[in-house]
Amino acid sequence: MPQLVPTSEDSRIYEWCVLYPYPMTQKEEQQVTKEVEGHFEEAGARQVAKDAWGRRGLAYSVGGFKEGNFTVYYYEMDPGKVKEVDNALRITKGVLRHIAVKPPKRYQVVQFSEAYVQWLKDRKTVEEQRAAAREEKVQEQIARRAKMKAKATAERKKTAKPAEQPLGEEALTEQIEKLISDDSVDL
Amino acid sequence: MAPPKKSHRPSDANRLARGGRPDPRLKKCPFCEHGTLYIDYKDYPALKPFIDYFGNIRKRYYTGVCLKHQKMLKTAVERARFMAMLAYRK
Repeated sequence: MPQLVPTSEDSRIYEWCVLYPYPMTQKEEQQVTKEVEGHFEEAGARQVAKDAWGRRGLAYSVGGFKEGNFTVYYYEMDPGKVKEVDNALRITKGVLRHIAVKPPKRYQVVQFSEAYVQWLKDRKTVEEQRAAAREEKVQEQIARRAKMKAKATAERKKTAKPAEQPLGEEALTEQIEKLISDDSVDL
Repeated sequence: MAPPKKSHRPSDANRLARGGRPDPRLKKCPFCEHGTLYIDYKDYPALKPFIDYFGNIRKRYYTGVCLKHQKMLKTAVERARFMAMLAYRK
């Protein structure tokens, strides 16, 4: 990435971020960008780098638009001309917001259009991983519960078996006979 | 010379050993650890962890950011808010 170093002592490098509305016809877009870049050319600025972010959702609606199109320009220009360009951009139709920033020393231009997309991808994979881990945990819990249940039922069967043996018919009659024939029992 | 005052505050190791959470005052500045010289207002992923649900900047006490970087963060967040990259209020 290019490091921002002005060519002469009188000029300085400025970073301009311009927000255009998103649903825009190609013709309008071309017109607006041409106009904006024309303002810089009028001020005798030299473009060092440009970063077009493309469609991006806005945190709040600006001028009725919920989506915008960001473009970051790096211009080397005379510091006295900044105010002129700023005023010109302020009254340009099709520019929702703009900001001029003086980047610090040894600032390296980062293509945030790519960085943002990469971040979105990374975040997605992280979320997927997290979801997979959660799913695995739930599965493990279910398996453990099923095992416990099976164990509990097996144990219950073992303990319940001797008590559950029903008496056969013959044994029952034999016992009754015994009771009846028993003289010690006073019925 | 008077002997140095003894602190009654339990050390972090003690707190952890007792099953408590670490002392929030002992956090390290995440920007200093990376050697950050400038916080960019265009870098949404970098700003996001320092913004709470309502869009406010998190307190230094909770994030552990040093004063120098908190000031940088503030300017970055304010610029991002103006450019509608971050919300003023959710």
